Amino acid sequence: MRRAGALVFVALLGLVLAHVALAGDPAGLSPRGPDSPQAAKIEGIDWLLIAITGGIFVLVEGALILFVFRFRNRGRSRTLEGPEIHGATRLELIWTAIPVVILAAIVAFVLVKLPGINSADSAKAAGPPLIVKVEGRQFYWNFLYPNGVIQVERMRVPANRDVKLLINSEDVDHSWWIPALQGKFDAIPGKTNHLWFRADRRGTFEGQCGEFCGYEHPHMVAAVQAVPSSDFQSWYDREARAQASGTSDLGKMTFDGACATCHGFHAQGAFGPDLRGNPILQQPAAIKTLLQNGRNKMPAVGKGWSSRQMNALLAYVKRFAGSSGGG
Amino acid sequence: MAVRVAPDPASTIVSRGRFSSWLATVDHKRIGIMYILTSLFFFVAGGIIALLMRSQLARPNEHVFTRDTYDQMFTMHGTTMIFLVVVPVFAGLANYLVPLMIGARDMAFPRLNALSYWFYLLGGIVLYASWFSGGGAARAGWYSYPPLSEHAFEPGKGQDLWILAIHLTTISSILGAINFIVTIHNLRAPGMSWMRLPLFVWSIYVYSVLILIALTELAGALTLLLLDRKVGTHFFLPSKGGSAVLYQHMFWFFGHPEVYIMVLPAFGILSEVIPVFSRKPIFGYKAIAFSTVAIGFYSMLVWAHHMFSVGLPTGLNIFFMLSSMTIAVPTGIKIFNWIATTWRGNVILDTAMLFALGAVGVFTIGGLSGIFLAAFPFDWQVTDTYFVVAHMHYVLFGGSAFALFAAFYYWWPKMFGRFLDERLGKVNFWLYFIGINLTFFPQHFLGLLGMPRRVWTYNHHGWWAAWNLVSTIGAFVMAFGTLVFLINVVRTTRVGRRAGHDPWVADTLEWYTTSPPPAYNFDKVPYVTSARPLRDLRRRLQEGSVHA
Repeated sequence: MRRAGALVFVALLGLVLAHVALAGDPAGLSPRGPDSPQAAKIEGIDWLLIAITGGIFVLVEGALILFVFRFRNRGRSRTLEGPEIHGATRLELIWTAIPVVILAAIVAFVLVKLPGINSADSAKAAGPPLIVKVEGRQFYWNFLYPNGVIQVERMRVPANRDVKLLINSEDVDHSWWIPALQGKFDAIPGKTNHLWFRADRRGTFEGQCGEFCGYEHPHMVAAVQAVPSSDFQSWYDREARAQASGTSDLGKMTFDGACATCHGFHAQGAFGPDLRGNPILQQPAAIKTLLQNGRNKMPAVGKGWSSRQMNALLAYVKRFAGSSGGG
Repeated sequence: MAVRVAPDPASTIVSRGRFSSWLATVDHKRIGIMYILTSLFFFVAGGIIALLMRSQLARPNEHVFTRDTYDQMFTMHGTTMIFLVVVPVFAGLANYLVPLMIGARDMAFPRLNALSYWFYLLGGIVLYASWFSGGGAARAGWYSYPPLSEHAFEPGKGQDLWILAIHLTTISSILGAINFIVTIHNLRAPGMSWMRLPLFVWSIYVYSVLILIALTELAGALTLLLLDRKVGTHFFLPSKGGSAVLYQHMFWFFGHPEVYIMVLPAFGILSEVIPVFSRKPIFGYKAIAFSTVAIGFYSMLVWAHHMFSVGLPTGLNIFFMLSSMTIAVPTGIKIFNWIATTWRGNVILDTAMLFALGAVGVFTIGGLSGIFLAAFPFDWQVTDTYFVVAHMHYVLFGGSAFALFAAFYYWWPKMFGRFLDERLGKVNFWLYFIGINLTFFPQHFLGLLGMPRRVWTYNHHGWWAAWNLVSTIGAFVMAFGTLVFLINVVRTTRVGRRAGHDPWVADTLEWYTTSPPPAYNFDKVPYVTSARPLRDLRRRLQEGSVHA
């Protein structure tokens, strides 16, 4: 009876796992991707380590289980002692030397891969690198492009071109992380870190903040959208003109990234209060002060914004001024 | 030769009465038991917090707790398990065992010893009282990085009380460490040279030295943070010219030795239990003793492997990769020595031995995942994810906690004169063994799938959700294991089988006296001629050459 129950349980568990497996999801043996030469090299290190540590695991656990099984008590008296073996110098030297050799091999492998991971992979790059400034903030990412274009949460880059990110933070520590493209690099106030990547293909690559940064840390998401180089260039120029003239969707993008995490995409309120019909939305100066200084649980999301970004947001939030949420 | 200090006799003023005699005690055994019971209490508290967190993470977008409560819970879980459980429980075990193992009547400074315990208890009370302070408990994680832990981002009292609680436990540990070092230097039995010292005592010696170096430094770092918060200095505030990275260096200069403060005594326990239940001497006594010292030394040179993603110069990253890989060598030596000890032995699989062998097996997984983390480009992918959570729990639960339970089952008869029940013990072991692997192995996959640590929820389905559910189930399996242990403890106090003075036919001096030992420990301590004095004594008795 009990065995039947266990069988049913195992079968159910198997069904659940098979169902998930069939959905074509990666199970997590290696990082997601890789979709950049940098991430591919990191994955190479992963597989080498899995092979080596897998071998060590089998040997060590195998020896442990074998010895315990082979030399188990089998009802002999407790007072019966094994042989007086206090050590074996040669054996101990061997098992000190072998790990040294294995670890040295791992270190050598890492050092060989390293230059292709923490720098540009310029061999196959099309065009000069694109340099984007990445600002971590509670609880969104702000991207500043060389021609003045500002993006929030979603970074658009050309595929097959080197991208260099200059990462820092305006408030607390965050960590920039798009697993399919690169490892994570911390965004630390007062310090600028840089990382290189080159998206191998077009597509959207997602990630989230990797360093605990406060209560909305799990919702501090990021995405990199890689598009063909020509598409990128036309978008880049068009967006620069639109943002300069105030006709872009920068206001909506900023609201969705910086405000909606707590207040909802329609300002309907969630963790933060409902903003619809709030009289403060009629007073740009008051909102500006609030955004730049924060209040209670609200972080200073707008500290250090350019006037372009601030004005875009102020223009956007006006639409919520009239629509009262009815409480 | 140093002067042998006669321990201060216990004060007799308040030593009458069952309760007050415990309050006023300066007996190392009673203090040890108080340490152990207090840390068991906090172990259960920290474990319940872990179960609540796993409930919140069992499914995507779960709402068992608010984000605010969750942040407080993971901060309290980590702080509890490190500062109120693992470090003090070893202080408790060492308090009980070191004087007995080296044939002393008490610790060198019995009153200081009592003071250490009361500071520890006070620290625990302050930490748990901080739940009820204005703004709740601290919520910046157990390493509380500024600027997040600065007043501007965390104005609540919880963070200040957290610093106070850690200061109190730190003072406790430092006083205890001084006491252990002096005791081990000065109060060893005649004939007990350093190479005849029990390996557990060796590990406590290195544990104490590391505490003196690392915890004093932590106290400094936290004092600077407290000054930032309360006095308006800005050591760690970049906006005013301070450095947030400086705190990370200061914290991890403590934080990595801390890992070995929590693991070396566990290694010491394994080096005591495995030979006794293999009926053989430890394989490579000197290699184990020296590797303990080597690990202690290297542990102070690896701190920045917690900071590979901070953006240190490449040369430094390479240095810390090399030093972190190096520390794997003495650790490997110990594992090989323990396994070799079982070879051709008469391996008795009592619960204590099961836990000890389980610790070797499970800790090996944590050691191997440590190699992944030392390879810093790979660390860039998995640092601050559930991969690290898995690694650290394999080390701390698989290594430290399994060894602790081995110690409980092994030394309980000495402490209380009764055996813990073997059948319940085996249920306890298997629930833990299955539970830890169910809970933590899938967390490696979660980290690689991109799940950061310290998230109160997630919005992913498929494997991400499946592994989280498996992990939560495993946590409850472990909780049942703990429940079985507690039942075992309660049951043992009433109906436990009585133990003689040396029920396991062991090697070291604590088994020479009665179970439990009298207040003065020994009538007479035999002259020590090897690392296994009790076995020597048995053999001499058999040969009839002892005229007692």
